[in-house]
Amino acid sequence: MEDLTIDDLDNISTGSDDHVQITPAEVIEMMEEAWTNEKFAPEILPNKSEIVDIILDQITTMEENIKKLSSSDFTKSIYQLEVDRLRFLVSSYLRTRLEKIETYVIHILKEEEKRVERGSEKYLTEQEFEFAKEFSFTMEQYFDKMMRFYPGVPADTWSNKIIQPNNNTFVFLKSKKRIEGVPIDEGNAESDLVDIQDGSRVIISYNSVAELVKNGDVHLI
Amino acid sequence: MDPDELEFLGEKVYVSIIPTFNNDGIHLISGDLGPFRASLPVNVPLWVAVSLKRQKKCKIQPPDWMDMQKLEYIKEQEKQSSGFTKMPSDHYMVEAKLLLECAPDDIPRADEVRTIIKDIWDIRMSKIRSSVTKLVKNSDFYAAVDNLTVMEINSVRPILPHALDHLFRMKNTEKTRPTQSSNVSSFLLSKRASTSFHLSPVTSSNTED
Repeated sequence: MEDLTIDDLDNISTGSDDHVQITPAEVIEMMEEAWTNEKFAPEILPNKSEIVDIILDQITTMEENIKKLSSSDFTKSIYQLEVDRLRFLVSSYLRTRLEKIETYVIHILKEEEKRVERGSEKYLTEQEFEFAKEFSFTMEQYFDKMMRFYPGVPADTWSNKIIQPNNNTFVFLKSKKRIEGVPIDEGNAESDLVDIQDGSRVIISYNSVAELVKNGDVHLI
Repeated sequence: MDPDELEFLGEKVYVSIIPTFNNDGIHLISGDLGPFRASLPVNVPLWVAVSLKRQKKCKIQPPDWMDMQKLEYIKEQEKQSSGFTKMPSDHYMVEAKLLLECAPDDIPRADEVRTIIKDIWDIRMSKIRSSVTKLVKNSDFYAAVDNLTVMEINSVRPILPHALDHLFRMKNTEKTRPTQSSNVSSFLLSKRASTSFHLSPVTSSNTED
């Protein structure tokens, strides 16, 4: 199997400038993790477009190769099956993100704007950002038009009610290393701290572990 | 999460098969498989094994733990222990379901295996139910679930996280509006006094609510 050399994968490498050798199998593993994280996290997570792109490339190459196989070859179905599985993984991941964008569009755009102002890493990809803007524009237009039918209702009532993800929600996670002093969010000012062992599984408020999910120390399950 | 999606993740587990064909190897994106030599065992992901089995191109060697003796032992341990014992595989239900479905002829005493795995699952599920009750009653906002497999965790979703969400919200409302709740309790107390129900002292107004 050929190893891929990936230069621009800073956020999943150890932060060194060296070329990181990552096998496609490892990329698939990262994709699966990104998928479950995205599924269980209440808010939208930083995008993993590098991983998605690598997998899509692999799929395209593999599909070219599959075309060359004769249809009597029984291994063809296995190759095809793998491609289908990966395609499912990627589309389910992207669809989960789109669902979140549609639900929390105003909130997500606001947060993204703040991130741009701060100069920190963007969460949405270019295309997702484009989609979010168009979606919110169309929604605003729609609501404005609808509101004309109800003259009694102040026109901007709906725009003050922003749907936000519930980041207090509870999630199950698996830890990838020993983490000390994770606060247990009980809604009090003072909270108990807990140490999470390497490989252990816990249920905890998403708020307490949001950063750990984003930097990859824990994995939502 | 949909159980099918968990099955998808579980299908990555490797199992040993005995192919009935010769092939120099299958070069998948996720890695190379083979070479395959008829009647020599080789490890492949579960989804490949299932697909080959359906094409009648291999026999599947069940995983070590899918054996009556071992399963009897696991069941006994699970019965005696008050906590959860470690399962031989994080995807034991997925593996059992797929293998028993597509290759019952390759698993010795398949019917008994099916029953005993279901028994183990049932014992664990009843433990899960009682721990969930305990968790919610104590309104703990943290719990370790170390030996639970992903399918078992999924079985308490979304009910447990939702229940905790609600508890969390109630607790927060209590905190942020102390004056209101004390008004309510004094109101209740005065009501009680006026109707002269002062036989038993009212300790907690919340329960009267």
